[in-house]
Amino acid sequence: MTQWIRYTLPVAAVITAASPALALRYLSIEEAQKAAFPQAHFTEVQAGRVWKAEAGGKVAGFFVFDRVIGKHLYIDYAVALTPAGAVHSVQILEYRESYGGDVRSPSWLSQFNGKTSASPLKINGDIRNISGATLSSTHITEGVKRILATYGARLK
Amino acid sequence: MAPASSKLRRTVRRARPLLGTFVEIGAVGAGPEPEAAIEAAFDAVSQVHRLMSFHEPDSDISRLNRAAALRPIVVHDWTYRVIATACELHRRSGGVFNIAVAPALQGLGLLPRLAGDIEVPAAPLPSDAIELLPGNAIRFRSRGARIDLGGIAKGFAVDRARDALRGFGVDSGIVNAGGDLAVLGSAPQVVHVRDPRDPGRLICAIVLADEALASTARRFDPFHSAETVATAVIDPATNRPADALAGVTVRAPSCLIADALTKVVMIMGPDAGELLAQYEAGALLMFSDGEIQITPNLSEAINRAA
Repeated sequence: MTQWIRYTLPVAAVITAASPALALRYLSIEEAQKAAFPQAHFTEVQAGRVWKAEAGGKVAGFFVFDRVIGKHLYIDYAVALTPAGAVHSVQILEYRESYGGDVRSPSWLSQFNGKTSASPLKINGDIRNISGATLSSTHITEGVKRILATYGARLK
Repeated sequence: MAPASSKLRRTVRRARPLLGTFVEIGAVGAGPEPEAAIEAAFDAVSQVHRLMSFHEPDSDISRLNRAAALRPIVVHDWTYRVIATACELHRRSGGVFNIAVAPALQGLGLLPRLAGDIEVPAAPLPSDAIELLPGNAIRFRSRGARIDLGGIAKGFAVDRARDALRGFGVDSGIVNAGGDLAVLGSAPQVVHVRDPRDPGRLICAIVLADEALASTARRFDPFHSAETVATAVIDPATNRPADALAGVTVRAPSCLIADALTKVVMIMGPDAGELLAQYEAGALLMFSDGEIQITPNLSEAINRAA
């Protein structure tokens, strides 16, 4: 018979996830552009939002930066479009998580710093591997559809 | 021998929307082309999605649901492996793990009805409803059989992505599909576990090395509400959502098994102890009142991370 152990939370372990540590930065706009169209140079078509990628004198595609704002999540992402206006790739640039004013301990990260700063357990200095209920990416899907409807057939 | 150029090792992390969630893949020390390794890993996830989606009309699952009751359908090796594992879990869990609950999920509005699909009764199917034939062929013994790999395919996708990283010589990495994740390499990595009742809080950290971790909870959709609501885990005994536990986290050698076992434990609770042991897995249960229980084999991994 398998025994189960009652687990009591250490007070310090009960921390809030609402912190800058969950602003996960994957790519800058420039890095994402290079990843989507490695050989191209970019011309801004719409300030801070749409770029044209050209390589070898030809249009390689378009790069659209967008942000989805849900109730608790703010996600920067980019859609690379082919010259014909089809989706070439979708990348998350930055993923933020915020629960409003729910930060219970603004300096909570410091309690981990001392314990892990010299340890191989630390990843990019942040708590960033989280297991839990699955987050829906529905808003990104809707955002990509909106980008296709807005720009898909119009960019030349 | 340790590589002399260890200072040149770098971590690359990328995230993309796939499998209805955010898939994050990270690789450390991936040689000259970490981006290529990550690209291959994302490709593996996309392929699992194409093969096993309930929604895509050309997926193996849609082809099976349309015609496997009429004749054997040959599926991709990966699909066959997932269904074979699901059948084994069905047997070992006394029918609790059941990929044929799609009609119940449809009845609750959690899965769409298929175009032209007949209405099938939501009753659970007998254990031999899915017949595994040689040559990656599958036949359903019942016309009412509809399968959905939503409870297991994500974990399999994570495993395939981890394999893809390994194939590129990555010796340390992580694949995280919205909270179902696998760690590649013997270098331990810390994973924090959300409080299923309050996803803004973390309840503990678990140290993983060459292992997988998956969690399930009563459904949590932060875009609509910070409150957790009903679970998408269906108890085949009642055909209703399982609601005794607030959430479950399972550690196992593979994410396929971890993912599938979260559903079983969500339904069976502490009675799943023997089954967990059979799969060399451990679990953390949180009851609705906040009480937490863990299997002894998790205690060290949790304490090391605290």
